[in-house]
Amino acid sequence: MPTVQLLVNALALGAAYALVALGFVLVLNAAGAVNFAHGDMVMLGGVAAVAASTLLAAGGLRLPGIVLVPLVVIVSGLVGLVVAAVGFWPLRDRPPAAMFVATIALAAVFEQSATAFFGPEPRAAPAIWDGPPVIIGGIALGRQPLALILVAGLALAGVYALLERTQIGRSFRAVAQDREMARALGLRATRLIVGAFALAGGLAGLAGALLGHQFFVNAGQGPAYMLKAYIATAIGGWGSVPGALVGALLIALFEMLVSAALSAVWAQALLYLSLLAILLLRPQGLFGEAVGRRA
Amino acid sequence: MTTTLEIEGLTVAYGGAPVVDGVSLAVPAGSVVALLGANGAGKSSLMRAVMGLVPSTARRLAVDGRDLAGHPPERRADAGLGYVPEGRRVFAGLTVRENIEVAVDGAAGARAARVAEMLELFPDLAAKAGERAWRLSGGQQQMLAIARALARRPSVLLLDEPSLGLAPLIAAAVFARLRAVAESGVAVLLAEQNAARALAIADTAIVLAHGRVALVRPAAGLSADDEALAALLA
Ligand SMILES: Nc1ncnc2c1ncn2[C@@H]1O[C@H](COP(=O)(O)OP(=O)(O)OP(=O)(O)O)[C@@H](O)[C@H]1O
Ligand SMILES: [Mg+2]
Repeated sequence: MPTVQLLVNALALGAAYALVALGFVLVLNAAGAVNFAHGDMVMLGGVAAVAASTLLAAGGLRLPGIVLVPLVVIVSGLVGLVVAAVGFWPLRDRPPAAMFVATIALAAVFEQSATAFFGPEPRAAPAIWDGPPVIIGGIALGRQPLALILVAGLALAGVYALLERTQIGRSFRAVAQDREMARALGLRATRLIVGAFALAGGLAGLAGALLGHQFFVNAGQGPAYMLKAYIATAIGGWGSVPGALVGALLIALFEMLVSAALSAVWAQALLYLSLLAILLLRPQGLFGEAVGRRA
Repeated sequence: MTTTLEIEGLTVAYGGAPVVDGVSLAVPAGSVVALLGANGAGKSSLMRAVMGLVPSTARRLAVDGRDLAGHPPERRADAGLGYVPEGRRVFAGLTVRENIEVAVDGAAGARAARVAEMLELFPDLAAKAGERAWRLSGGQQQMLAIARALARRPSVLLLDEPSLGLAPLIAAAVFARLRAVAESGVAVLLAEQNAARALAIADTAIVLAHGRVALVRPAAGLSADDEALAALLA
């Protein structure tokens, strides 16, 4: 059944995009500004996965991609800290435009460094779960998309539990809603925001490693991922976390359907056109945003 | 009585002329000081400056004898300042319980116990503990803003126009609660437009005019329709 396979593939893609969008919207809410380098954190996660597997292979070790996941998350979490240290911390009392501009510069630095270190050619990250398709109910499903759904789903559930069930998560939501008030109640807002950058980096890098097998890793892919996170957030209602996740799934479904019907190039072109349409016609997002319900 | 909040020569200027100009006042533990003044007199600016939310200068700014000069808001909260801002500013997307718990430090068990204590103190909130704060009425949000500040066991409570926008009966309930808070040993500084209501629970009244202290009087000796007071509040 090609339709089931298409849907599973779309869900896998959507789950990875959801990781990208989640980190983007968490930083947006925490710092009150767009992190333009967000897509480059995705790219660097892919680079880390490729580099780690290449190094290990050179040492005679052929490990499945899943083993590299924790390493990739740690490395890209550190990248998130770098973005916070350069693009947010020195500018934390300035208007949001300052962070936006600083992260544009940072994105360029990341892209140039990756090009220098990695070369301009796309390379494939290792598969998370290698092998022939598994047959479920008579339908052959690729292992990589299934693993992707599982790993991304676990990461999303983990972040949900962190945000909704822990004091750190509550504090983070309070800071995102009203930073000044949160500080007047003793909350360490700056630490929480820097933590959001680290988490966003980890999630983005994880997505980069997960997507890098099928869609390859290349130094220049950052802006496209940033735009997808931006589109998902715009669709979902600027600042809404569940909205951004739904937006990410819709983008993936859209890309899969248009790629199947027309081509991947058309899928990208139409995606950016629909962003323009949403921004023009429904600036509050497809699902709007109830005032005060941002998280 | 020990003086809990001490302010000497506090000055706030937003770039231009000072809007709080050399104000000195003291709030003893267990008492309510009403901070009165017309629109724009500088009440909110004074409170925001004490909390460290706007830049200010002062000869002395201390809580329980500890100097707060130059400290960021979170350190001032740790030092014992509790703040109930103008407009309440509850965390709309958090539940009532979360709004209180987020303000409490410590291990999960200790936090839960403190939340339970606060909900016992504010029965209206207990009935809504699981609701998101944006769903509460204005009076309930005001109670939540007070409960959230008290949850940290502050030694000073700063309240900026807590009765604003509330129906008279609800406002009366809020003020009765504030008197009880003071009786429990907290130093309460209460900015209000409604002089009669504030004077009814205050020990001392301080009137600000154009950023300066224009009048300091025991509240008992002051009636809301006192001519000098009315002229200052006009
Ligand atoms: N952020 C700001 N920037 C510039 N001026 C300000 C700012 N906030 C307040 N002011 C000015 O400072 C003065 C004092 O304002 P403040 O809000 O402290 O008075 P208030 O006594 O609280 O008044 P109200 O009763 O209206 O709440 C006013 O002239 C006001 O316009
Ligand atoms: Mg005011």
